[in-house]
Amino acid sequence: MDQTILIDENGKRTDGRSIDDLRDVKITIGVLKNADGSASIEFGKNKIIVAVYGPREVHPKHMALPDRCVLRCRYHMSPFSTDTRKNPAPSRREVEISKVMREALEPAIMLEDYPRAAIDVFVEVLQADGGSRCAGIAAASVALADAGVNMRDLVAACAAGKVNDKIVLDINDIEDKEGSADMPVAYLPNLEQITLLQLDGILTESQFNECVEKAIHGCKMVYEIQRKALIEKYFGNDLPEGEEKELEENKEN
Amino acid sequence: MLEIKKRYVIPGDVIIEGNYRPLMNVIKKDNVIIATRIGIAESSKDGIKVIPLSGVYIPRINDIVIGKIIDNSSLSWEVDINACFSAHLPAQDVFGRDFSPAKDDMKKRLAPGDLVTARIITFDRTRDPMLTIQEKDLGKISNGEFLKISSTRVPRLIGKRGSMIQTIEQATQTRILIGQNGILVLTGKNDEGIALAFKAIKLVEEEAHTSNLTQKVKDLLNVSEEVTQTETNNSSVNNEDYVNNSNTDNNSSDMENDHSSNITTESPKEVQPN
Repeated sequence: MDQTILIDENGKRTDGRSIDDLRDVKITIGVLKNADGSASIEFGKNKIIVAVYGPREVHPKHMALPDRCVLRCRYHMSPFSTDTRKNPAPSRREVEISKVMREALEPAIMLEDYPRAAIDVFVEVLQADGGSRCAGIAAASVALADAGVNMRDLVAACAAGKVNDKIVLDINDIEDKEGSADMPVAYLPNLEQITLLQLDGILTESQFNECVEKAIHGCKMVYEIQRKALIEKYFGNDLPEGEEKELEENKEN
Repeated sequence: MLEIKKRYVIPGDVIIEGNYRPLMNVIKKDNVIIATRIGIAESSKDGIKVIPLSGVYIPRINDIVIGKIIDNSSLSWEVDINACFSAHLPAQDVFGRDFSPAKDDMKKRLAPGDLVTARIITFDRTRDPMLTIQEKDLGKISNGEFLKISSTRVPRLIGKRGSMIQTIEQATQTRILIGQNGILVLTGKNDEGIALAFKAIKLVEEEAHTSNLTQKVKDLLNVSEEVTQTETNNSSVNNEDYVNNSNTDNNSSDMENDHSSNITTESPKEVQPN
């Protein structure tokens, strides 16, 4: 079978990473003035903007819940996000990702604090390169924190998968298409809970466990980046002496 | 007891372990206190709280807010108070007990688009907030410049015992009406003063978390120390209210480090660890 070489003899992947490397992640907070909270994320070649509105009034009104807030997510890929034009109408895949994103974020948000209200999360993919749902969840959770929604924890997300019978971290587009398994995971790092776990492909039990573990490890790396972005945005250079040390200590704990 | 002062936290951060009482924007889980907002964690003798640095306005009973009339039904006005719920101002509150929907023309008193200062009298999880304007200094706002800031910046804009807002008002010759919901109305002698006050308010909004903010504002407004230290009775509605409230408060000498508002905190007797 004529297969692209996904991992070469030196253990390097198509984009030069080793099997345990994350792509470069960059998060910018507060990119949209109109939104209550916003964030943009560059996750390798992924480029995603997230806007959060709310808590705000629910329209249509019959959707409102008497005891908690409704969380509405919309994941959308812009027509120019892929090399062949993507029809802007919501596809089956986008509807699904919107749903799993909502379910990945819901456990972190204290919805019961805002009865009869709604929180809207809009995730717009400007450029897609595999793993956009994870990048979207990571950015959405930062945008929610930016919006000042009460949250139990941030949600970090990262994928792992199987390529050439090896479990690798953070699958990119080629590995997703040509590799044999892809497992996106969303994780609450402080509460140590998994809020999203999907698997596309076949893994043995031991491979599965290794894959989950690797993905969680990736989530923790993503969390550090999310954390840093938030602290930089809100506290900037104003860290008093000793504070940085304290932050370091927090990280270790 | 372990004191926490001015610790920066993000959602999910463990603030402290042990048997402490959660006050504001924190949750207690298995004997640890966890922050739920981005903000500054503080401990007092009552418990642990986080003063948030972002967020939309959530109505609270006894808050004084500035709202815009959107509509009226036959018995009440609907008021936009910049929150996730629109508030209701009952017609009886304005016309008195003998109000009759047939006789009294509600639109003549308050038309859609009018701004009012009002106090929230009831609000809970199950009902929309209810307003009253039957108090001194509440009611329709006749003129002024409208400005919206984040409601989390309001305590900072007022400052300890109204210091910040007084500084701005005196230096720019303006009156600033402040609603807890982040809506401001500025009136002044001249346009330059209003423009300058605008700038100062924007500075406070952008740099609310930094220390030495009063000095930065003073620099912007070119105020010398003596001017601001003289007490005048030139203060706005909410400002007075604020001063009244703060009389019950402990005097913290260092106003720069005070991020909390005495209007917004549930416990008026907070201890400043600084």
